[in-house]
Amino acid sequence: MTTDRDRHHGATDPIPAAARAANLRLWNAWTRIHEKSAFYDVEGFKAGATSLWPLEIKELGPFVHEGTTLLHLQCHFGMDTLSWARRGADVVGLDLSGEAIGLARRLADEVGLSRRAAFVCADLYDADAHLGDRLFDVVFVSWGALEWLPDLERWAGIVARHLVPGGTFYLAEIHPFAGGLDEVPGEHDVRVGYDLLPAPGRPIVEPVEGSYADRSAVTTGLVSYGWTHDLAEILGALIGAGLRVEHLHELPTSPAPFWDWMVQDEARWWWLPDGKGGLRRDLPLSFSIRATRPAT
Amino acid sequence: MLDDYLRANLASWDEAVGVHLDSQMYDVAGFKAGKTSLHHIEIDELGPLVGEGTTLLHLQCHFGLDTLSWARRGAVVTGIDFSGAGIATARALAEELGLSQRASFVHSDVHHLPEVLGGRFDVVFTSWGVLLWLGDLERWAEVVAHFLKPGGVFYIAEFHPYALLLADDSTPDSLRIGYPYFMYGEPQRFDEPGDYADPEAEVQNTVTFEWVHGFAEIIDPLLRAGLRLDFLHELPYTPEGLPFAFLEVCEDGLQRVKGHHHDFPLSFTLKMTKAG
Repeated sequence: MTTDRDRHHGATDPIPAAARAANLRLWNAWTRIHEKSAFYDVEGFKAGATSLWPLEIKELGPFVHEGTTLLHLQCHFGMDTLSWARRGADVVGLDLSGEAIGLARRLADEVGLSRRAAFVCADLYDADAHLGDRLFDVVFVSWGALEWLPDLERWAGIVARHLVPGGTFYLAEIHPFAGGLDEVPGEHDVRVGYDLLPAPGRPIVEPVEGSYADRSAVTTGLVSYGWTHDLAEILGALIGAGLRVEHLHELPTSPAPFWDWMVQDEARWWWLPDGKGGLRRDLPLSFSIRATRPAT
Repeated sequence: MLDDYLRANLASWDEAVGVHLDSQMYDVAGFKAGKTSLHHIEIDELGPLVGEGTTLLHLQCHFGLDTLSWARRGAVVTGIDFSGAGIATARALAEELGLSQRASFVHSDVHHLPEVLGGRFDVVFTSWGVLLWLGDLERWAEVVAHFLKPGGVFYIAEFHPYALLLADDSTPDSLRIGYPYFMYGEPQRFDEPGDYADPEAEVQNTVTFEWVHGFAEIIDPLLRAGLRLDFLHELPYTPEGLPFAFLEVCEDGLQRVKGHHHDFPLSFTLKMTKAG
């Protein structure tokens, strides 16, 4: 008998070896930078602040209670994972970076959450091999996750295989439209580029300049491999994996700046300026999706 | 205010019927000779669900070419439009083509349709340049859901929100943003000569009021109205009707961005099913 797990475990890695190595190196380096960044504010988190955005708390919070089991895919160093644990969930965070998972475990220890938080060091596409047949009430993915994945069908398959029937999937992400925006040279303005539609065999390979969390950080020699996706592909992957889409929301704000001339508001969201002293409310910079694995 | 918007848009559409009847784009002579007005996109994606006897409601049907094309494929169709001129022309065409028995037309806007039309349908269909005339997609989605049988299918083929936000003077090397992706409330006012199907036409009613809608604003109300999402497709081409200089018509008759035939979404399709 061949199980889903065998089939997927045996499939070829959708991430080319060079890309996997480069992105792993990058995330290990970024973890060391992010631990000390004002953006992540690890000290504030240790003191009790949540790292979750009001958006996620409002939209996913009602599905997370005492004892809810939650899987956080691509969890970086686990502050969001642990923030859900603080809200009562029993959480598992998974990330490709050994540095990040090491830090996540230390943080869990330090804030006394080790009993309800476990962390797995694995590439997303190897998740099945590490999680086995474990099912979760909630699968959570957020902010800058999908761009590292060339194959969303396999990603959505992993999401669906680890959800209980009736379970909830939630994604908050940078909008594909924002990913396709280019800076107009010499202006604090944007125009539309051509990285808008999926191109699985054509990664965007770029030298890394700092980090989204610390634009001045030194990242000499690091390179990122990323992939573009559109809403059609993201929704189609989830539907194809058997999930039912419950909502799609779009917002004119981003949790991190794309350019240093973007403007941050009191709630920490980043906006494009409208050139007249105000904020642009007419373009989508982020989106969220909630989907359900049908109960029957 | 809403009545002013509606009045201006209605005057524009009533006048457009005459212009479009003589236009190459609508090719009414070809249609009468048997050609379908539907594009491969709709035929490939919705066609398999439309068979002999399928009941189909066509929202914002203009003067009914697409409605009657579905009737020719076996459907029993109802077309609705807010333009009396459009509906009168549609009825005359149905008569002339011997399709009156399986095609009826109702003069109504979308919002008030449940007050004048009964029944439930296997398919609700709408396409190409329809959403920009609607300010309130909450009500639109309720009407779609109202007219679908349980298990019935809603299908829309439309211009992509990204295509509608580009500035008129954009070039393939610089796609500037001229219009919003989403907006809530007041429409944009346009006052432009000519007609999309015939730029040379002498048109009197040139002022229109148009809304834009992002994907969430389109899909979310339909989900809330009880429909399930089957697919959203984003396509780097569109069959017709976008008047931008950065587009070109390709050999297959579809418009694409010059030099970027695969990279920029110009249209989308959406299929949803009513639960039950």
